[in-house]
Amino acid sequence: MKKNDEFYVPYIDGSLGSKTKKTLKRFTFIAIVVIVIGALIFSFAQKPFKNSTFELTSATKITGTYHENPYPMLRVEVADNTFKNILLLGFGKSSANPFLEKLHSEVKNLNGKTLNIEGNLIYYNGKTLIQITDDEKVTLKNKKTSLALQKELISKMTLQGEIIDPKCYFGVMKPGKGKIHRSCAVRCISGGIPPVLATTDNNNISQYYLLTDLKGNPINKDVLSYIGKPSEITGIVEKMEDWYIMKIDADDIKIISENSSIY
Amino acid sequence: MGLDYQLVLWNKHKKTYDKIIVLSMLLYIVLFAVITIAFNSETSIETLVIRAFGSLAIIMLHIILAIGPLSRLNSNFLPILYNRRHLGVSMFIAALIHGGFSMFQFHALGDVNPVYSVFTSNMDYGSLTNFPFQVLGFLALLILFIMASTSHDFFLANLSAKVWKRLHMMVYFAYALIIAHVFLGAFQQETSPFTIGIMIIGFLVVASLHLITAFKERKTDRVKTEEKEGWLTVCNISEIQEDRAKIFTVDNERVAIFKYDGKLSAIHNVCKHQGGPLGEGKIIDGCVTCPWHGYQYLPSNGQSPPPFTEKVTTYELKLDEETVYINPKAFEEGTEVKPCKI
Repeated sequence: MKKNDEFYVPYIDGSLGSKTKKTLKRFTFIAIVVIVIGALIFSFAQKPFKNSTFELTSATKITGTYHENPYPMLRVEVADNTFKNILLLGFGKSSANPFLEKLHSEVKNLNGKTLNIEGNLIYYNGKTLIQITDDEKVTLKNKKTSLALQKELISKMTLQGEIIDPKCYFGVMKPGKGKIHRSCAVRCISGGIPPVLATTDNNNISQYYLLTDLKGNPINKDVLSYIGKPSEITGIVEKMEDWYIMKIDADDIKIISENSSIY
Repeated sequence: MGLDYQLVLWNKHKKTYDKIIVLSMLLYIVLFAVITIAFNSETSIETLVIRAFGSLAIIMLHIILAIGPLSRLNSNFLPILYNRRHLGVSMFIAALIHGGFSMFQFHALGDVNPVYSVFTSNMDYGSLTNFPFQVLGFLALLILFIMASTSHDFFLANLSAKVWKRLHMMVYFAYALIIAHVFLGAFQQETSPFTIGIMIIGFLVVASLHLITAFKERKTDRVKTEEKEGWLTVCNISEIQEDRAKIFTVDNERVAIFKYDGKLSAIHNVCKHQGGPLGEGKIIDGCVTCPWHGYQYLPSNGQSPPPFTEKVTTYELKLDEETVYINPKAFEEGTEVKPCKI
């Protein structure tokens, strides 16, 4: 060890010698330079975040026709004869169902009924979702039943993409896709949030498919081990206005070796 | 040295040290936040907090790991080592904010307990690329918590220096877990060569400093010696500076041989407080003074002066002309041995 005449003893005043002080100043300077360089590198090197939105602190009231195909949605008229199907979600990593139970107990079949819902909007890339945090904020506006929503059969398709949880992907988390987010997506889908297949074509245009089993029922638990991994999925695709639905057999999902990416 | 336990025994140097730690941490967080908000404004506050505190904790851990070997190589760095535990606790706080936010964000408000979720939400333990990297971070945070919560002389005294030291050597295991956590997690998606590069450089610096120190100390431990009627040759007396020591290895134990007031005394090299190298210390007021925290021992009996109670083993020396010899048999801790007159 390199020794000098100076010997620092914490409880002896004046034991901090000039050579030691110089070393300490140099060390502090280098440590601060490392801190600054680290901050520059770690902040500038982040990939760009997408412009998705989660209105956590503001509530919005929406009115529309309730339907379950099979996941709870509200069909809202956003312009003359133009409709948007807003996916209903619960608080945290849960489905909207616990927040609809109260109304379900009062009205046996909610399908086709007009509801008022107040919650936090989530939106990105043409899709809108709403988080319900209080069952008192879900009220029946009209008992009259509207016509059932029409679904259009497209074809049997094989698509490559990643199963995501739409709540995080469309705004609550950034990034809401890929390996870092995988555990969260598993929790969300396990908690009842509908699984969605997100695909991106060569022109970087994304498309989204609500996944159900072959009978059109929720498929949450069966897809847990495939979430957040690039996959190839074959199923029957239907169009439900602004959403696609893909009916699949979870056993047919193939994990592909492509790298998972954030966006 | 202190007889009773206080949360922190403040002094001027500790206050300066802590101010530098707090200001540096603030500087990092503010810089990270301002740059991110200015150039990547679509970030979310949770992601910003997770990334800022996670990266800060890693940088701090590298600085902490460099302090030990730097102090072994150059005694001018010892004042940084003296208060290193404050730096360690500060790093743990940064890591806890990172881990706490991540656990809440990714695992809370779900259908199972968040801790259970950390271990079970991703079961690809057999895959390298899909490995549940959050488990590694959780285990590292647990180790850092144990270390931070026992970073006090109360635990040091009650656990014994040996156990405490072993516990705190787990920082290297935590470091390995953190490196794997980052490379199998964040770096799978955030693939900038700059962030990966800075981590590799950090690892190389820490590893090199430890290797250089280890090789240097190995030299001391491997000095060839001659045995003469049960006594081992140590060195020529001129090789020991006044009020300083020479470290000599006997039966795999390092011994500090001090020269002071025309006498020679030998005691075990390891301080009872935190295992500091007494042989790199100095005789002050007639006492061997540890270079790490100033703990003191009387050279003739290895006992801390009353009212303190620490004791180390002692050894017998003899001088034949100018050659110093040591009897390799250690005496019980605190045994009085007549100093060898020069």
